[in-house]
Amino acid sequence: MKAVLWRELRVNGRSLLIWGAILMFLTFFTMSAFGAFEFEGQLDQYVELFPESMRKVFGLDRLSLSEPLGYYGTEVYIMVLLFGSIYAAILGAGLMAKEEEEKTIEFLLARPVSRAQILAGKLLALLVYVFLFNVLIGLSALAAFKSYVSSDYSRDALLGLLAAPFLAHLAFASFGFLLAFFFTRRRSAMPTSIGLVLAFYFCDVLATLSEKMEFLGYLTPFHYVNAADIVMNGQVGGINILVLLGASAAAMGASYILYRRRDILI
Amino acid sequence: MKAIETFNLTKYYGKARGIVDLNLEVEEGEIFGFVGPNGAGKTTTIRTLLNFIFPTSGSARIFGLDVCRDSVKIRKVVGYLGGEMGYYDDLTVEGLLRYAASFHGGDTARLKELAEIFKVDLNKKIYSLSLGNKKKVGIIQALLHRPRLLILDEPTSGLDPLMQRRLFNLLREENRRGTTIFFSSHILSEVQRLCHRVAIIKEGRLISVEEIARLRRGQFTNVRISFRDGKAPRLELPGIAHQEEDNGSLHLFFNGDVNELLRLLARYEIDELWMEEPSLEEIFMHYYEKEGAR
Repeated sequence: MKAVLWRELRVNGRSLLIWGAILMFLTFFTMSAFGAFEFEGQLDQYVELFPESMRKVFGLDRLSLSEPLGYYGTEVYIMVLLFGSIYAAILGAGLMAKEEEEKTIEFLLARPVSRAQILAGKLLALLVYVFLFNVLIGLSALAAFKSYVSSDYSRDALLGLLAAPFLAHLAFASFGFLLAFFFTRRRSAMPTSIGLVLAFYFCDVLATLSEKMEFLGYLTPFHYVNAADIVMNGQVGGINILVLLGASAAAMGASYILYRRRDILI
Repeated sequence: MKAIETFNLTKYYGKARGIVDLNLEVEEGEIFGFVGPNGAGKTTTIRTLLNFIFPTSGSARIFGLDVCRDSVKIRKVVGYLGGEMGYYDDLTVEGLLRYAASFHGGDTARLKELAEIFKVDLNKKIYSLSLGNKKKVGIIQALLHRPRLLILDEPTSGLDPLMQRRLFNLLREENRRGTTIFFSSHILSEVQRLCHRVAIIKEGRLISVEEIARLRRGQFTNVRISFRDGKAPRLELPGIAHQEEDNGSLHLFFNGDVNELLRLLARYEIDELWMEEPSLEEIFMHYYEKEGAR
């Protein structure tokens, strides 16, 4: 298991640096514009002109662009959440799919390791990557707050906004990992996992807009990490944390059950 | 203890046949060839032995251990080279071999020695290797941890004759040290040179297990007769397994009484007559045809 973990940690470093750097930049850059808006207070008046549905989707019905957390929650958070989920899902889908695609899986399975150990090594690497990715973004966000925000904000709520994406990313990483078992080729596993993220996001938007569709919300990870909820409550709800961790664990468990008796054909 | 034993081992991929009721025994210490045409089920058998795939029914044991239940224990003492095995392109040869060794407690003592024997450049990246060189790396990773049993799926494909000979020499040496070797091939002359015993598989079923020495001794004789008048008659005699006319000469695959054949031939004016021991290839072609006709 350790050998697999170390190898994965080495191999995927570059993609972490690329995705991490881009999102660190986007976070910092977007936050830097906050200073320009902060004292004008007019921004909220413009927002009033948006259609109500649009304001709801972006959380602008409850958050204010002239407040630091409101600005972060509506402008930055969504990028971190969405792009990060795509990164996590692709990473998760690739971990096993690449072994089958490059036909290295026989090499790996010929070693004296159980399938459970291989999965454990890979999942642990996944966990480390998703964590590091969020640490990078968190550092960038903290630096940006320090540089561009002079007004008061709740530090707990900010920590909530920084921690919540990790949970969503973890869920999507696990979903991607599981999904890969249904596609032996990375070429199809990767676009499908991106599609999954976007589909879930779309469900979340629909659930926000229409009361009839509200039930859809509960099915998507995005629902449990809603920025406005976190800012209003000052933290991520305990149940939300449990739901996302549970969903991740379920996807990981399902991968194990699927993989235990799977025929490996290359 | 048997190195490999299978009991009515059967594998279907959905409805597609892999292997059917395979009963195989490989003694510890022998070099065992597993021969059959493409699609006969050689790779399926090997993948089942290594538990990459699960049998539909039946079971198999390696050194007395169940291939499904004890697969991790088994893989500690088995070296495997897959026919289509891939290696991590981003690694160097040495990196790959060290990665392989790290699963076996990091013993890299043989790494340099084996690289020397096969003339593999340890610093080259895997992706830059030719097919033959990749094969060599594959052989080294299978031998690295001094396995008790080597399972090789088509090990010689992609190797030039020189490397093939080097491989065979090395395998013989490994075998002298007590390593059991099980290898599949569709090229019989290879098997003939290396193996003690050979199993013939066709369409998923085991047709026969023979000792190479006995097969070669075999009772079959290749007979070729060219007739003076250029017209080959059709001969009727017990023991003619196969006869074929070819441009005025007759080709027989014969395991009957030679005296009777000679008495029969005495009735004809004969230009030339050859009798020779058939190659294994011919023996097997005959097996396949016979079994196919049944």
